[in-house]
Amino acid sequence: MNQNKKAKEGRYVYCVAKNLQITRIGKIGIENNDVYTITYKDLCAVVHNCQLKAYVSKNEEEIKNWIKIHQNVIDIASEKLGTVVPLTFDIIIKGSNEAVSDWLKKDYDRLTRILKKVKDKQEFGVQIFWNENKISDKIAEKNQKIQNIKKDIKKVSEGEAYFYKDTIKTILKKELEKKANEHFKQFYDIVKNNVDYIRVDKIKKEKGKQMLMNLSCLVHKNKIKNLGMELEKINKIDGFTVKFTGPWPPYSFVNSN
Amino acid sequence: MINIDEKNLKHGILGLVIALVEVITDALKLQATKRVKSGRLTKEEIERLGKALAELDKAIEDIKKEQGITEAVQGVRDNLDDLADDVINKIIDPKKLEEQIEPKQKS
Repeated sequence: MNQNKKAKEGRYVYCVAKNLQITRIGKIGIENNDVYTITYKDLCAVVHNCQLKAYVSKNEEEIKNWIKIHQNVIDIASEKLGTVVPLTFDIIIKGSNEAVSDWLKKDYDRLTRILKKVKDKQEFGVQIFWNENKISDKIAEKNQKIQNIKKDIKKVSEGEAYFYKDTIKTILKKELEKKANEHFKQFYDIVKNNVDYIRVDKIKKEKGKQMLMNLSCLVHKNKIKNLGMELEKINKIDGFTVKFTGPWPPYSFVNSN
Repeated sequence: MINIDEKNLKHGILGLVIALVEVITDALKLQATKRVKSGRLTKEEIERLGKALAELDKAIEDIKKEQGITEAVQGVRDNLDDLADDVINKIIDPKKLEEQIEPKQKS
């Protein structure tokens, strides 16, 4: 077949699912394209026909909009087809429908494995914040060394007191770090025991809040309630706040290329 | 598109400068504390040193408040920390970074 050789056309791929029933998703694609499925064995790829060039733009708003549409198609496809393996934005396969079937055929084992891994599971984000000042104060109250230094500060001169205060700061910093590590491990273990897959993400620095941990989790639908309850317990601890977000399609757990 | 106007530029540069001043001040404090702990300083010297450092701290805080750059400075320092982290990670093991995905085997 010479189709693929002279193809200046492509297929924009949104996601892959295990479904042979549905063929049409709707006219909801980027640039109002018709979104439908192409199958190989028991897998299907959700696509729209496009030209063989990536969607690029200097306009940030336009790109944001495309990504929104991309995510929306994946959401709707999930509703119609069941669990999907979502692809990142702007993945285009060169050629026509046959090229897509070939791709599904080539990656059949890997895609089937991933689909099995994510079946009936959704991605959630767990971010735990703490009030460093509050926790610091608590540590200071209970720390004998600091309490002793505080007493001494009252007895010495201004200049000398500076160094005493600096010592307190240093002790607090060390103890805070120790606490942070303890809590991290404690909360990590709790979350890990209530999800199927867990990933540690980079801490984001947010104004006025101190993030202790940032996790992405893949959770089976039967476990979501329990996870929520455990996170609520942590949220109730004085000085700690939990941000539980989702569900999303399992973007972080598919490693698709 | 980055909108560079005079005010933004001044803000950014000041943030950078004060962040640098803070880093140097931290080094100063460390040295001063060592000297104090060494026991080689007289009471008057300790007093002078402590007072001078306290004034330095206050001066920096005042500048940050007056110029409204407290967050800018924190931002620069956070970026420096991240940079240091990145370098250390690369030295430790580039592959280790990929092992952040930890599958829990379902029984």
